[in-house]
Amino acid sequence: MKVYDYLKEHMVYLDGGMGTLLQNEGLQPGELPERWNLTHPEKVIAIHKAYFDAGSNIVSTNTFGANSLKYDDEELEAVIKAGVYNVRRAAELSSGTQEKYVALDIGSIGKLLKPYGDFEYEDAVEIYAQVVKLGVKYDVDLIFIETMNDSLDTKAALLAAKENCDLPVFVSNAYGEDGKLMTGASPAAMVAMLEGMHADAIGMNCSLGPKQLAKVVEEYLAYASVPVLLKPNAGLPRSVEGRTVFDVLPDEFAEAMSEYIAQGVRIAGGCCGTTPDYIRAVVQATKEIAPVPVTDKGRTLISSYTHAVEFGKAPVLIGERINPTGKKKFKEALRNNDIDYILKEGLNQQEKGVHVLDVNVGLPEIDEPEMLRNVSYELQAIIDLPLQIDTTDVTAMEGALRRYNGKAMINSVNGKEEVMDAIFPLVQKYGGLVVCLTLDEDGIPDSAEGRVAIARKIIARAAKYGIPRKDLIFDTLAMAVSADSQAALSTLKALQVIRNELGCHTSLGVSNISFGLPLREVITSTFFAIALENGLSAAIMNPNSAEMMKVYYSFKALHGLDDNCADYISNIEKYATVAAGSAVAAGSAGAAASSAGQGGDAEMTPEDELQKAIVKGLKEQAGIVAKKLLETREPLTIVNEQIIPALDIVGKGFENKTMYLPQLLMAAEASQCAFEQIKKKMSDSADKASYRGHFVIATVKGDIHDIGKNIVKLILENYGFDVMDLGKDVDPSVIVDAVAENHVPLVGLSALMTTTVPAMEETIKLLKEKAPWCKTCVGGAVLTQEYADMIGADFYGKDAMATVRYAMSVVEAGN
Amino acid sequence: MEQTVLIRQYKKEDIAEVNLGEVWRYAGYRGIPDRSEKELWSQLEEVLRLADRELTYKVVYFKSRTMAFQHSSEDLEKHLKDCDTYYLFAATLGVGIDRLIAVHGRISPVKGLLLQALGAERIEALCDTFCEEIEALEAEGGKTLTMRFSPGYGDLPLEIQTDIFRILDCNRRIGLSLNKSLLMSPSKSVTAIFGARKGMEENARKKWCTHKCASCPNTNCEYRGK
Repeated sequence: MKVYDYLKEHMVYLDGGMGTLLQNEGLQPGELPERWNLTHPEKVIAIHKAYFDAGSNIVSTNTFGANSLKYDDEELEAVIKAGVYNVRRAAELSSGTQEKYVALDIGSIGKLLKPYGDFEYEDAVEIYAQVVKLGVKYDVDLIFIETMNDSLDTKAALLAAKENCDLPVFVSNAYGEDGKLMTGASPAAMVAMLEGMHADAIGMNCSLGPKQLAKVVEEYLAYASVPVLLKPNAGLPRSVEGRTVFDVLPDEFAEAMSEYIAQGVRIAGGCCGTTPDYIRAVVQATKEIAPVPVTDKGRTLISSYTHAVEFGKAPVLIGERINPTGKKKFKEALRNNDIDYILKEGLNQQEKGVHVLDVNVGLPEIDEPEMLRNVSYELQAIIDLPLQIDTTDVTAMEGALRRYNGKAMINSVNGKEEVMDAIFPLVQKYGGLVVCLTLDEDGIPDSAEGRVAIARKIIARAAKYGIPRKDLIFDTLAMAVSADSQAALSTLKALQVIRNELGCHTSLGVSNISFGLPLREVITSTFFAIALENGLSAAIMNPNSAEMMKVYYSFKALHGLDDNCADYISNIEKYATVAAGSAVAAGSAGAAASSAGQGGDAEMTPEDELQKAIVKGLKEQAGIVAKKLLETREPLTIVNEQIIPALDIVGKGFENKTMYLPQLLMAAEASQCAFEQIKKKMSDSADKASYRGHFVIATVKGDIHDIGKNIVKLILENYGFDVMDLGKDVDPSVIVDAVAENHVPLVGLSALMTTTVPAMEETIKLLKEKAPWCKTCVGGAVLTQEYADMIGADFYGKDAMATVRYAMSVVEAGN
Repeated sequence: MEQTVLIRQYKKEDIAEVNLGEVWRYAGYRGIPDRSEKELWSQLEEVLRLADRELTYKVVYFKSRTMAFQHSSEDLEKHLKDCDTYYLFAATLGVGIDRLIAVHGRISPVKGLLLQALGAERIEALCDTFCEEIEALEAEGGKTLTMRFSPGYGDLPLEIQTDIFRILDCNRRIGLSLNKSLLMSPSKSVTAIFGARKGMEENARKKWCTHKCASCPNTNCEYRGK
């Protein structure tokens, strides 16, 4: 019987600890345990056999760390081949009569993936794929991915398994005492991602004893619709007279496991510190317990790398602002590859309280697949909200989903055959909650019945791809009520039927309803309220709309979704009426002005005030005063007569050591607020004219620290340089290409460690060859004048101001 | 011989309170800003608030009677002279602080800078807490500890990190990984070795703690402690 069929009717028992037993046999810390498959097969087989004798159904190969980072290809194959053989041999030798299976054990490659580490996601997938293929070659019964402590790394391993075999794949994560993975993912987030990708069983192992995992197990059992596995440690390790001992003994372990099994755990074993005695005790204690059937929990979840968002409770707000449609500035940002602009849109919406970010970067003249992949990646580097990948380009969709850390929302599919056949395979493979538009080849049906019929068609087709209806969310399409007075009613009726009769969640792009009408927010927000009352689960909306946010908080309070109205009370004032809102703004301007007054300069002119605000690093005030000044003065005059002199005061103070780096940065940030006001006033041409020159900046290949680089960039920008920031861990050729393409006169390179200085040297060499006109300046913690000379840099910037002074001298010499 | 690789996870309360003077020093400020510099202080307070929930304090260590790895560093040899017990450890604050630095480094470099500085101060405080704990244990046997010695100090090459990571199995145990360029991720992490011996000058480690930079040859470093 195949393991998956066996699992349907029976409890499945796993093995227990391996590492601790090998250590007792003489394995040294730092020695590679998998090598023992070849050098000490008898000892390894004896341990496997003891587990089968104790009642384990599944014994994992001793291949936890077997991958190409630790072994060359030849040895890797030998280690895995022997690993599989050793378990098979143990099964033959064992006196146990139970069903026995061999699992290919796969542990983490032990590298933190980008952006917080330096390891490429696709490289990780490839490493896991090689291991999976070898397991398949030597005929294992299932793949067991375990002790994974990062969600993206887990995804890489699961993806490799799914792409390279048809075997059942079990996935087990290691949770810390805080109930999260080391990189922050919650159990619900992992359930969402792993189930979406069709893991066959999921659960947790290692790090803690059975009792400390109670909350994690509970969460898995509540959310998971696949079998849940549990493989805890024998409590916590401590050292007694030179030996590692664990504080939970077999009987106590078995007792705790029995409780979890009664609650619904279907696959049980042990991890560090557990021995065949523990497994025997668990089997004995639980053999009479009838396995709890695995049921579909029907919960609709999406996730980021930290948390899950569930649909069907409080309304889910999906921020719509990352979208170029009708936004001139956004389009410009896309064309200029200005990722920071897009990130700010994301951060702003997060601050406003949305739960999901829609990401649409489609513009005819850009490479959408690359842009979508980059933007999703960059957003996930700094924002922990789940994303809704929004594109009609299937290649772009796949690229973004493949790299996405979690389970994304997918926007969108509809009733057209062609679209379903293109999108559903991606959902099946990468997981996701799909927005389904109720339209098809014949357009949008006028009637609610027509839209519901399309919904039924989509549900049936999705089922063929193994996509459950809980992973479909229907958009019954809000249409302009100004064009058709029945428009809202059809949408709402279809919504009601889909929610109540088909049992699916719903989402709407609510603002379409008000198209062509004055004061759109009023009718949009009213429609939003009605739709929520009719069962709307989510809305794609603009969180900057006070009217929408008022409806959201009110609805939650009125529907018992806001305990003690706490969210309402703490948020609603922000969205008070428009008239009061402008009073608030005026109030804060007044407050800022008076706080400047407190400095004792009651007679200060606005000019002095701006200078002072910048020198003191008062961001808000700098913006407010600049705006006021712009009413009477030319933008460039303000720059030259107030902002630059203020920056000079701080710059000189920094050079003379009367002011320090934090103050330099605060002044820079404050002046940026003033600049923002000024830019709004200036035409594009004048904007460009104010630039001193171009500057390319990057942290070199292999180095992932960029705070120093960011500081230099900010100060350079303040002094009027147009800085092209290539980011961190940048390949020499990328830097050279950027310089050559734009004939940039100056490059700044940053490196933190001695080990990355060679990459800096290589970059400089390549620059001298391909862009000989370009001057290079280097900086970073390990750099010194001697180092800079040695690697052929034109200048060593000991700090941000030194770099600015040098850049100015280069530009002046060039003029 | 003892073969145990053990993990210590500390709570916030176990670690010394944030030494604000150190944070300012790591941020490049000489001394402590006057309280009238409200804007500076409000930035730091905001940073302390942001970081509070994001920091974890984990250590993995290996105690042995012989050196855990082979090396040819004379400086380390000298440093551990007369020791009969060796401690190899790795400590990390986790990835949360890196995330904060990434977000705020992008939208507000001054917060990025202060978070970076806070991380530097906290990881040192974590190492101190761990060492004090071991110091108390070793004191029972009449031994004192040497100062901490890390890869990259003196003639101990950074490449030794590879061995340290293998022995301590850092990724699995505390989620710490070694990059190709031998940088550690998460970035606010330390690996070091120290020894215990009899007859060492009383409180030598304490002295070290008040002047950690004493043995560093880079006397022009702007972060050098006094």
